[in-house]
Amino acid sequence: MKATSHHIRFILDNQWVELDFQQSENIRPSTTLLNYLRCLPSHKGVKEGCAEGDCGACTVVVAELNTNNELEYKALDSCLVFLPMIHGKQIITIENLEQHIGKEIQLHPVQQLMVENNGSQCGYCTPGIVMSLFALYKNHHKPEKEVIEDALTGNLCRCTGYKPIIEAAKHACIHQGKDHFSEKQQEIKQQLLNIKKDNTSILLYHSEQLYMLPQNLNDALKLKKQYPNAVLIAGATDTALRQTKKGEIIPQIIDLSQVEELKNIEITDKSVIIGSSLPLEKLKSGIEKSFPALFNILKVFGSLQIRNIATMGGNIGSASPIGDTLPFLFACKAVIKLQSFDTKRKIPIEDFIIGYRKTAIKTDELIVAIEIPFIPENVILKSYKVSNRKDLDISTVSVCFRLQLSNDKKVKEIIIVYGGMAVQTLRAKKTEAFLNGKTWNKQIVETAMEILYNEFTPISDARSDKEYRKLACRNLLMKFWDETK
Amino acid sequence: MNANENQIYHDSAIKHVSGKSVYINDMNAPSDMLHGKVVYSPYAHAKILSFNLEKALQVKGVHGILSYKDIPGANQMGPVFHDEPCLAENIVNFIGQAVFLIAAESKEIAAKAEKLIEIEYEPLIPITTIEEAIANNQLLSVPRIINRGNANDAMQKAKHVLKGILKTGAQEHWYLETQTSLCIPDEMNEMMVYSSTQNPNETQAIVAEVLGIPRNEVIVEIRRMGGAFGGKETQGNHTAAWAALLANYTKRPVKIHLFRDDDQVMTGKRHRFISDYEIGFDDEGMITAYKVNLNADAGATADLSMAILERAVLHADGSYFIPDISVIGKAWKTNLPSNTAFRGFGGPQGIAVIENAIDRMARFLKKDATEIRFRNFYGITDRNTTHYEEEVENNRLFTIFEQIIQSSDYHKRKKEIAEFNSKNEFYKKGMALTPVKFGISFTTAFLNQAGALVNIYQDGTVLVNHGGTEMGQGLHTKMQQIAALELGISHEYIKVNATNTSKVPNASATAASSGSDMNGMAVKNAIDIIKLRLIEIAIDEFNKKKHPNPSNAEDIVFHNNFIFDKLHPDRILPFKELVMMAYLQQKSLSSTGYYKTPNIHYNRDTGKGHPFHYYGFGMAVSEIQVDVLTGNHKILRTDILHDTGKSINEAIDIGQVEGGFIQGVGWCTTEDIKWDTNGKLLNHSPDTYKIPTVQDIPADFRTTLLKDAPNYNTIRQSKAVGEPPLMLAFSVWLAIKDAISAVGNHEIEPDFSLPATNEVILKSIEKIKLSGK
Ligand SMILES: Cc1cc2nc3c(=O)[nH]c(=O)nc-3n(C[C@H](O)[C@H](O)[C@H](O)COP(=O)(O)OP(=O)(O)OC[C@H]3O[C@@H](n4cnc5c(N)ncnc54)[C@H](O)[C@@H]3O)c2cc1C
Ligand code: FES
Ligand code: FES
Repeated sequence: MKATSHHIRFILDNQWVELDFQQSENIRPSTTLLNYLRCLPSHKGVKEGCAEGDCGACTVVVAELNTNNELEYKALDSCLVFLPMIHGKQIITIENLEQHIGKEIQLHPVQQLMVENNGSQCGYCTPGIVMSLFALYKNHHKPEKEVIEDALTGNLCRCTGYKPIIEAAKHACIHQGKDHFSEKQQEIKQQLLNIKKDNTSILLYHSEQLYMLPQNLNDALKLKKQYPNAVLIAGATDTALRQTKKGEIIPQIIDLSQVEELKNIEITDKSVIIGSSLPLEKLKSGIEKSFPALFNILKVFGSLQIRNIATMGGNIGSASPIGDTLPFLFACKAVIKLQSFDTKRKIPIEDFIIGYRKTAIKTDELIVAIEIPFIPENVILKSYKVSNRKDLDISTVSVCFRLQLSNDKKVKEIIIVYGGMAVQTLRAKKTEAFLNGKTWNKQIVETAMEILYNEFTPISDARSDKEYRKLACRNLLMKFWDETK
Repeated sequence: MNANENQIYHDSAIKHVSGKSVYINDMNAPSDMLHGKVVYSPYAHAKILSFNLEKALQVKGVHGILSYKDIPGANQMGPVFHDEPCLAENIVNFIGQAVFLIAAESKEIAAKAEKLIEIEYEPLIPITTIEEAIANNQLLSVPRIINRGNANDAMQKAKHVLKGILKTGAQEHWYLETQTSLCIPDEMNEMMVYSSTQNPNETQAIVAEVLGIPRNEVIVEIRRMGGAFGGKETQGNHTAAWAALLANYTKRPVKIHLFRDDDQVMTGKRHRFISDYEIGFDDEGMITAYKVNLNADAGATADLSMAILERAVLHADGSYFIPDISVIGKAWKTNLPSNTAFRGFGGPQGIAVIENAIDRMARFLKKDATEIRFRNFYGITDRNTTHYEEEVENNRLFTIFEQIIQSSDYHKRKKEIAEFNSKNEFYKKGMALTPVKFGISFTTAFLNQAGALVNIYQDGTVLVNHGGTEMGQGLHTKMQQIAALELGISHEYIKVNATNTSKVPNASATAASSGSDMNGMAVKNAIDIIKLRLIEIAIDEFNKKKHPNPSNAEDIVFHNNFIFDKLHPDRILPFKELVMMAYLQQKSLSSTGYYKTPNIHYNRDTGKGHPFHYYGFGMAVSEIQVDVLTGNHKILRTDILHDTGKSINEAIDIGQVEGGFIQGVGWCTTEDIKWDTNGKLLNHSPDTYKIPTVQDIPADFRTTLLKDAPNYNTIRQSKAVGEPPLMLAFSVWLAIKDAISAVGNHEIEPDFSLPATNEVILKSIEKIKLSGK
């Protein structure tokens, strides 16, 4: 590895900050951005409502350079962000939105319209909501209702019933994103470019923790070889909960969020190759046309704040039975590309997921990319997610169907993959076997539903009981039939 | 006064949107502040055999660990019945019950110490359901009973009778700000308590009680809460008492800010109910008899359960006149956290049963439920007394009904829905209209009192103190407006202070939707007293000139920042100048104010009386669509028409209506709470406990306040608005049922309960499909 550096640099509002964790008692590298901000004397606007990414009270906006070196503004849940993840970025907080002109304070348009539309009651959710609106303001001109709602899904408000907040959003976003940040944009961009140029990997030492922030793939692979027990993170939306909810301090972390080579999306004539660390929101905008079945799942995946950092590599790496991209990847016969410092290999997703939160990865390997073969035109692919609440909820049951019919309406190939029905993502092989070669009609589907009903033995938990899972699992086949008949 | 004085924004709006509103957890922490942690029971029912704190106390940075033995005063924090230990002694009665308190330099150190506490429990069998509690005779207190006529006889004579059982679920408050308190010890025994509480007066009482000091040593202050909804009416006291004990012990400031999961595990919820009912009616759907047993899950202690049960019993009639009726309410003890106040306070649980019963009647009679509701509404001149013999005065049910039937296009849409349903197998639509009639006042009569302290300073600015607390509902804004209107000055000169027990003593909780009604009157009373003094000075001043017709007190007007004689408008003084004159003439510019709601009484033994000052009314029509294959639903449209009297602040009132409605929608749909058989809460974080998001509100959401509807005998002719709208969510709940029912062509009564989660919906649909086969 080339020279390494031992501190992180970022811009907080308009101030430069350099943090070196070696001496500090109060913060360690994996201190969350939320806790860091709230320790500062003047940043108590940001709130903790849950410490698990489910309420958005902690929302801040990060401005970062994209691949074209343009600034992009994204809302994040600061309760899930480890400090090194903001290296080389600008953090914008609620305290920085207003402008001081002489003695006058001028509210930002999103703030002003929240006031005028009575968008706050108790006010506790409000800073987070305003920050989500600010990101919306920077990214959308006259957004559709759907876009507004998507931008606010990650912000719970228990008081207002949301309507005035939607109104505020509608009226605010007419200025094409112009505000006092626009004026400083060039300056900030330059400062961030300077950090980006220096792409030495960062090792942060602290008495309880070694936090590694490689800036390129080679360094990442080297570090993983050297520290086989280090925990990999990409967006940390899964891993951070170990700390924020269970109080665990992870001794060694390799953070892949700044490895540019892992964030590509490559389209060949046969497949799409998705970098493991590409944030899901980016992925979502890239595959709307090519993979509507994935797009539909990503639409109801967490919230915008979550999708802005969560990754597919992390979704696969978690190997959770309710990982929402997994049924889709199974049905697409996706291939996982793994790499260690010394080797490269490819493995079909079905062989990669081997149990409850268990994968076939070796300790020195990373998932570098996911290769998804294009679906032939005569193949239908559809996914469904059933959850207690439609948005920002974990699947009770999820499924992806892949169907190819012959000219005489017979099933040539069917793949049915369920999440939430077993300890891991699983194919309904008995049902598939029954359907193969049969005519695709309602009667056959109804018979298949009975097989499907008995194919899995799901559990009862906080989300649902097993009977509901079995019923929904069974009925989703009918839904698929209804939509493809 | 300026017409736009009733259009002002929330007095904290600018602070809210710029992150400058200070909640207790945001206060500048004193440098020697410690963090408090509550160590709670992992068992729903167990004996504590022994414990040892030695090892935990060794942890560097730990400044004290307290058990019940270290409580200097009484080990008691129950608000009404004194049955709730502050820290468990020999026995624990629910998971989440406080056993020890730790004060440490950081939360992490406290967590480390917690792991080193040694404690031995002997688990006992817990009671975790109402059914078990009934089987084991765990009655909390004497039942609450109201009878009118002879329901048994009437039931026998009834043409038709339907019987059933309805379960309504618990609900977690999910205020965004979890329970918080910061306590700062002062001279000798004095304790300054900052507490996120709806009831500072009771917080003060309980802190004094556990510390064993008189109440005049304790000051409780709260500027604002980050939401409360009833969850901080009594249970805010707990966190304050724990922090005060630690602060008193360590002689350092101590803050406790509960972690979300701990808050969900430790605190009580809306009461679950199981209610069995019998309803008798004729061919036209006139209700002739109703019998209902309301069984509430009180949890481990009484808390406010009996008052909540009482309100459920008082609201068992819904909006309907029922000649012969028998209502029996019982609260049962279980090994769960003590359930507590939640917006509606038992009203929703009582009303749900009758609304569901009427829905069943409609299906039975093959009529539209809306028609049956209308037919049974309380009358204007007859059929207008409730089962507890209070007359339903100023009944607005008919006015609202007529308007909303029109504005919601009810009949046309009802037809369209039937048509849609006949054409679609996998999606069904449903619609329902439901009313609310909600009694306003504390049913415990003596609580209906309020105080205020209004100070005018020499520069003409005004500081209003009152006993109510601000939790987002806009109470302070309304008080600011009332003061502005009464003093005839612009609201910018008026500030409403943080609620503080040393300014206004002995206040009741800000609850029962009564905050504005009572505190508004108290503020007005204080201002009236000061105004009398100011008028005297103004008259003296005006009459100095020896006019042939001198000014009289009754002609003096406060308006537009001036005081003048309305008969002689040239006799005029700026408010500010008059204030200065008063000061120089050694007149007091400060006064307390007081109000008690007139004519409130209720006799628990006879179940008769006049427990409510007046009623709030509203109605909603909701249309929903159900996915027959998954049980998911979405709300297509909701129309609400709500009566807030002559609104003091329309925007704030609409905010209360919409917010309350959506909170009710959560309770009726996705907010499912499950405990396992060991009494362990399964939904202890927002990961699995799902309140509505922005995507869950009606796609088309229309809220209107009833026009030209001044209230009588209330502050500025307004009406309370906090709680009633929550019950309008029954329109969504029963619209869902209507859609389920459409699967069986409305011929089969669907299984139904509350909340109607996708699980409840799908199972109900599947059952209908099976019985159809
Ligand atoms: C509020 C909230 C909502 C959520 N909603 C959903 C949802 O709707 N659907 C859903 O499926 N999930 C959801 N999740 C879970 C989580 O966001 C997803 O699983 C996400 O895809 C994880 O990505 P990440 O990059 O953040 O993972 P990380 O936490 O960074 O990593 C997760 C796991 O993958 C491993 N890993 C990450 N990158 C690699 C790599 N390149 N090579 C090898 N191993 C790797 C890590 O070691 C770790 O074990 C939600 C989480 C939260 C907090
Ligand atoms: S605190 Fe709730 S999302 Fe971060
Ligand atoms: S205003 Fe109270 S939670 Fe949104």
